[in-house]
Amino acid sequence: MLARELYDIRSILRKQGIIFAYSGYVTEAVLSGVGDAIKQKLLFDDADTKTLRSVFAVFVEQMQNMIRYSVETPKSGVIEPSYSGIRYGVLTIGQENGDYVIYAGNLIQRSDIKRLRERLSKIRGMNKEELRALYKERLRGDPEEGSKGAGLGFVEIARRASKPIDFDFTDVDDEYAFFTIKASV
Amino acid sequence: MQNLSIPASARTPAIDFDFGKNHLKLSGESYPEDVTEFYNPVFSALDAYLAALGQGSCRFDFELIYLNSSSAKAVMMLMDKLEAAAAKGAAVDVYWFYDKEDDTMQELGEEFGEDLENAKFHLEKMSG
Repeated sequence: MLARELYDIRSILRKQGIIFAYSGYVTEAVLSGVGDAIKQKLLFDDADTKTLRSVFAVFVEQMQNMIRYSVETPKSGVIEPSYSGIRYGVLTIGQENGDYVIYAGNLIQRSDIKRLRERLSKIRGMNKEELRALYKERLRGDPEEGSKGAGLGFVEIARRASKPIDFDFTDVDDEYAFFTIKASV
Repeated sequence: MQNLSIPASARTPAIDFDFGKNHLKLSGESYPEDVTEFYNPVFSALDAYLAALGQGSCRFDFELIYLNSSSAKAVMMLMDKLEAAAAKGAAVDVYWFYDKEDDTMQELGEEFGEDLENAKFHLEKMSG
């Protein structure tokens, strides 16, 4: 029974083409370890250099976004500096129609949906040249409000992706929503 | 001035600042846990060196395989420092080496190069 249940979870993931699935508390050390395994797996797949680097680049930005912006900390309902560096998130890497597809998801405040949706819609609608210009602008500019990083992560993901990025939100309760971003390489 | 030499780690690049030879190099991969913590000593050493360089000449090699978005910001700050020294009269050559298999890094080099007016920018493929 034990084995059957866990095997069923594995089968569901495998059927969807998922080769990596992580759901849990994420830290920089998790990023290092999982990142290393991903590199090795892609080398075994004989992925070309650009694909390997792009999958890795998307993975790093998505993991760091979760570590910085997921509102889910080890102590429920508490977001404070003592919990910086450990946040709950879900990340999967799979293959769909010949592409590597990276999904990342984490809880956010519902009040942040509007801002995120605007930012991501803008990026989603841009071609490579526009993304390049936006990347330069963000590189030079001050970090956006609510952004602890350079505000560049989403642009980097979109530039590394071979198709427009996808994103979605689903409400969890009155305060929180689950945010998901998908990038294909 | 004391040279600055930091070996590469899995997530941080090698720093090889040979101030005696006026040859500075940053190579490898850059996606540190804490960008500020890693790059601050690098910025300080570069600032002190460039302040003393005056009208002298120097060469800075970037040989990066991969850098994350927050490291890109740090690289831009290094470029700005080199450009400022060149604007004050130093002869600065900036080399950006990219892996020919990864045009994203080539494009990134082009983007940094566009902002250099006084420092001389060279975009080259990595050997091998």
